[in-house]
Amino acid sequence: MLRNVFLKSLRDQRRSLTYWGIGFSALTIITVLFYPFMSDVPELSELLEQNEALVRVFGGGFTDLTSPEGYLNSQLYSLLVPILFLIFAIAQGSGAIAGEEERGTLDILLSNPTTRLQVLLQKFAAMVTGILMLGLVLWASVLIGAAIVDMDLSIVRAAEATLSGMFLGTAFGTLALALGSATGKRGLSIAVAGAVAIAAYFINALVPLVEAIEKGAMVSPFYYYIEADPLSNGLYPAHAAALVGMSIVLVAIAVFTFERRDLAV
Amino acid sequence: MSAIIQTHDLSKSYNGHLAVSNVNLEVQEGEVFGYLGPNGAGKTTTIRTLLDFIRPTSGSASIFGLDSRANSREIKRRLAYLPGDIMLYEKLTGREALTYTANLRGGVDWRFVADLAERLECDLTREIRSLSRGNKQKVGLVKAFMTKPELLIMDEPSTGLDPLMQQEFYRLIEEVKAEGRTVFISSHNMPEVERVCNRVGIIRRGVLVAVEDVAALRERALHELEFHFAAPVATADFANLPGVSDVTVEDDVLRCRVMGKPDALIKAVARHEVVKLVSREPHLEDVFLSYYGEGESHAT
Repeated sequence: MLRNVFLKSLRDQRRSLTYWGIGFSALTIITVLFYPFMSDVPELSELLEQNEALVRVFGGGFTDLTSPEGYLNSQLYSLLVPILFLIFAIAQGSGAIAGEEERGTLDILLSNPTTRLQVLLQKFAAMVTGILMLGLVLWASVLIGAAIVDMDLSIVRAAEATLSGMFLGTAFGTLALALGSATGKRGLSIAVAGAVAIAAYFINALVPLVEAIEKGAMVSPFYYYIEADPLSNGLYPAHAAALVGMSIVLVAIAVFTFERRDLAV
Repeated sequence: MSAIIQTHDLSKSYNGHLAVSNVNLEVQEGEVFGYLGPNGAGKTTTIRTLLDFIRPTSGSASIFGLDSRANSREIKRRLAYLPGDIMLYEKLTGREALTYTANLRGGVDWRFVADLAERLECDLTREIRSLSRGNKQKVGLVKAFMTKPELLIMDEPSTGLDPLMQQEFYRLIEEVKAEGRTVFISSHNMPEVERVCNRVGIIRRGVLVAVEDVAALRERALHELEFHFAAPVATADFANLPGVSDVTVEDDVLRCRVMGKPDALIKAVARHEVVKLVSREPHLEDVFLSYYGEGESHAT
């Protein structure tokens, strides 16, 4: 695990990845296990339909809790999944360059025959790999829970919804990576990326309620994450591409800024 | 002999403050070069510019004849760097930290590593975070020496080492020198530079004020001598002796300074009965200060 920067960075994630995986898995399975109780109460859906704003903020606007997709979207994919992916991704992304720089280990790392570009790309790859592992845990947990409560759920659709969450996590993780690469400041990177994430979430949840600016939600990455409902309909290519494109642009910005600045002692 | 490190009017400023100003350094192959200056003089800034961690405001640097910015990767394949304030991965053991470096550098001779660790009394089995400042420094030294680089760049390398380990470190430097490899050491400690370096460059407030041969400096060193005689002596007896200056006589005590050969003074003194001789070995820093007329004095 000390072969190269990529594996070393993955090794650094092991502890947080383990705990995060356990927590992610437990929350997911417990949520799924509650499905039989909720699907028995159709009145709940009617109740939810009357509080559109609240439902959009806490349930992604999904009001039909009686179907597996409606229930999972509302209880899992609209809020819990993005929160868990984003916290992990932002923590990893902000630490990738700025973390090493603040701890003072970046100088020694870069005194080896490697380049800033190499270090940055390998750190990015390690972050994406961590998100991928969490995604696999999420996917498996949903399937395990669904099997226990005998939920009728497509394995492929569950994978696609998870993949959409991974794209969203990667986009924000890369935003944190770019901020850390550009400034060398981990705290700033976490704060800004976190604030942008929260703002983006509420934009996607609330802007569509105002008819005049309905389309405004399209500025939010969350729109591309869940608007097309990948759990029911599969990944919508254009939306997935928007999230992947955001990550690519941010990696480019990270490389560009990191290559050009002085490193802190 | 060819230049291993060369800087051309290298300048670096931070927020309008000039940290390094038009430095022209030339370090030759096979020499141990001391980069001496008080803290904050610009030593670390120069070094970090050489390593492309920071970029010059103007001027340029080359190492092994390669541009420090364009060919940084190739340069780093051939050098090792020990930072002034060593920071290693806290959660790794010493051995793991060295393994990571070895992997990034394409391997290392582990028998040599074991030998270095033994000589520096460095425990590689413990986690870095449990080590004292000095013990971390030892891991850093092993890391720097283990790849047998063509060039070693070390920022304040003996910081935190106890005197015995400092001596061992000096021996390691001498071995590197004997193998014809090059060493660049920054230090604020003149006796250290005097002990291990062939040449010394003095940096003050970002300006390289002098580059001197250590042996030549030593020859120019003023020795302070104090003779106590059995009976009072006359000042005239010691006037106009070659190489002797600042002569003062108080009854039976003569104080003076000697540069170079003390022969004439000894012969003049020998005409009287000497009961006591006090000699002060000068620090080269004082030599520098007197030679370059810098008013400041620095404790060593």
